[in-house]
Amino acid sequence: MTLTAARPAGTRRRPAQSGARARETFLLLLPALVPVLVLSVGPLVYGILLAFTDARSGRNTETSFVGLANFADLLADGDFWESFRIGMVWAVSVTVLQFLASLGLALLLNQDLRLRGFARVLALVPWAMPPVVIGLMWRLVYHPDAGILNAVLGTDVDWLNDFSVALPAVIVVGIWMGMPQTTVVLLAGLQNVPKELHEAAGVDGAGVWRRFWSVTLPQLRPVIVAITSLDFVWNINQFSLVYVLTQGGPGGRTRLPMLFAYEEAFRYGFFGYAATLGVAITIVVLAVLGLYLWRQMREAD
Amino acid sequence: MRRWSAALAVAAVVLAAGCSSGGGDGDGAASDGPVKLRFLSLAWQKESIAANKQLVDEWNKANPKIQVEYVQGSWDNVNDQLVTSFEAGDPPDVIHDDSPALSGFASRGFLLDLSSSLPSELKSDIPQAAWDTVTFGDGKGGQGVYGVPFLQESQVLYANKKLLDASGVRIPTPDAPWTWDEFAEATKKMTKGGAYGVAWPMKSPVNKVLTLGLNFGGTFFTTEGGKTRVKVGAEEREVLGRIHDQLYKDKSADPSALGMGTADPLPGFFAGKYAIVPAGVYLRQQVAEQAPSGFEWVTLPPLKDVTAEQGATSQTLSVAADSKHSQEAVKFISFFLNGPNQAKLAKGDWLLPTSTSAAADPAMTSKENFWDVATASAKNLVVAPYLKVDGYDEWKSKVATPVLQEYFANKISLDEVAKRLVEEGDKVLERYGR
Repeated sequence: MTLTAARPAGTRRRPAQSGARARETFLLLLPALVPVLVLSVGPLVYGILLAFTDARSGRNTETSFVGLANFADLLADGDFWESFRIGMVWAVSVTVLQFLASLGLALLLNQDLRLRGFARVLALVPWAMPPVVIGLMWRLVYHPDAGILNAVLGTDVDWLNDFSVALPAVIVVGIWMGMPQTTVVLLAGLQNVPKELHEAAGVDGAGVWRRFWSVTLPQLRPVIVAITSLDFVWNINQFSLVYVLTQGGPGGRTRLPMLFAYEEAFRYGFFGYAATLGVAITIVVLAVLGLYLWRQMREAD
Repeated sequence: MRRWSAALAVAAVVLAAGCSSGGGDGDGAASDGPVKLRFLSLAWQKESIAANKQLVDEWNKANPKIQVEYVQGSWDNVNDQLVTSFEAGDPPDVIHDDSPALSGFASRGFLLDLSSSLPSELKSDIPQAAWDTVTFGDGKGGQGVYGVPFLQESQVLYANKKLLDASGVRIPTPDAPWTWDEFAEATKKMTKGGAYGVAWPMKSPVNKVLTLGLNFGGTFFTTEGGKTRVKVGAEEREVLGRIHDQLYKDKSADPSALGMGTADPLPGFFAGKYAIVPAGVYLRQQVAEQAPSGFEWVTLPPLKDVTAEQGATSQTLSVAADSKHSQEAVKFISFFLNGPNQAKLAKGDWLLPTSTSAAADPAMTSKENFWDVATASAKNLVVAPYLKVDGYDEWKSKVATPVLQEYFANKISLDEVAKRLVEEGDKVLERYGR
């Protein structure tokens, strides 16, 4: 209360100086602001505007404003909603499974093991590879004839071309690829859990499981909320991995929404409609994320 | 003081002019330095890359004023790459692609109409049927020729000679090919002892089905009053039903080959698991090179029913509309695709040349590796009806591929195939008619 009361009084005392200061601040911010405006805000606004036009690829096309027609088309576009459903299945399952696997790995790496440093470096390996390389590598793993997976399992499955196993196969790669950052963040969180709490709980007679459930997890909560929301956004926006692995096939079974939007724009040339898809995906992701964060915050209070 | 500012203004104008022409990649330099052309090539087989590079070198030596830079592209992503470079206004000057992709680029104005600039000897060396595969609307109501067709592919049958002879069926010749009925009979006879009569690799089923559909007069598209619609009538159902019968009624085709790409059945073919593999003529290269010693194979001519016609598409060379040196680009293409050079390129890719003088080359009619059968099949090629359909690519990837894959996996009925191809297909095509 005292702070908010004091602030207006302070500004009133030196109005001229603060104006000059604001200008100075602005000038100093300008070099940092220009790239943001040019490289981020500009394209974003342009993309949003594009969503309300019938822009198409071509030298001799005329673009006109069509209002909400693209959004009306979108609502009736069954192919897109199918792709969106696949995207949700993909994003939710990758995020959840990735979180569980990473939590296990982080707990393991937090133990006083021999060669702990080495193991921690190993866990980071997938992070060091670009998604395209990961995609190419896993395509070899899944190869029906020469792939190591069929050789080990003794099966004869064409993992990436089978209608029913293609999506799960891609999800496994997605989990593998995203594990390092989730693991590292969770590990950092684990190391911030005060030892005293564990000791106190131990003195009170809590077992390992009980201590994990009542001490570690509540302490980790802010980290978990942050990393799962970030993972969700990253996953629903995933493009390169699926583009390399399956190109959305077989028969569209792994066509994530971003891939769908990409095809609309760069394969079929409907730039306006593709921009609409981008806007729609952003809105839905924001809504899902908002709901999730809101619930988490409410529970935390 | 005023004089100074005037001088400064002049200097600024000169500078600006210098910059803008300097940015134009040698516009000003065209008079003295050599013209530079970029040639995006999609050659991928080793022999074919070598043939392409050798021709470029030959040209560069003979034409110091027009230097061509060989740029390697890939069929996997060439059309994405081209869309971005066209939109950015900096495309390669000479573009290797295939005719299905040209129609979209032509109607969007990205490609140069070559109809008036090609030399007459090149025009007359390539038959009209091949020119038809590159003639498209320009998006403004006119028509133009948007590439030079140079390699074509027909679908033939590869057969295991031992199994073929053992079955006692009539051996087809280019003059008396098998009908589809004979083909079905033959594959039934060859299905025994764990071997299947035929393997249909149907990972990308649409082009294959549409090409073979012409055997029964099936076109899959009709155009009335400028509006194109999908059509699946009795003629179109024939090819679908016959392949389906082989899979599930005669059981002469192996269902587990369905997910394969064109070359994937080869290990099974060499192992005697499949007696016949239908594929394009270019597969001869892999068969010839990978076949184990002692394995005998033959190339059988294309099937026939109402007609022996097959839908042709061609590989093409085009000039970008944004190219700054289009005349030089046309000159280079005319050299690159003359008769003798086409014969070299065709040999490198194991495909059929469009040039009539190249087709007469002794190497193109030799018995070795069945060039005679392959070259003879070229006479059945007619322009594929789907080539002129705006939105075909989207129909293929969103509607036809999943529907056909589900049908061949025996998950849906033929009636449902027809219904979905037409209903969902017309919705897709409608977007392009707007």
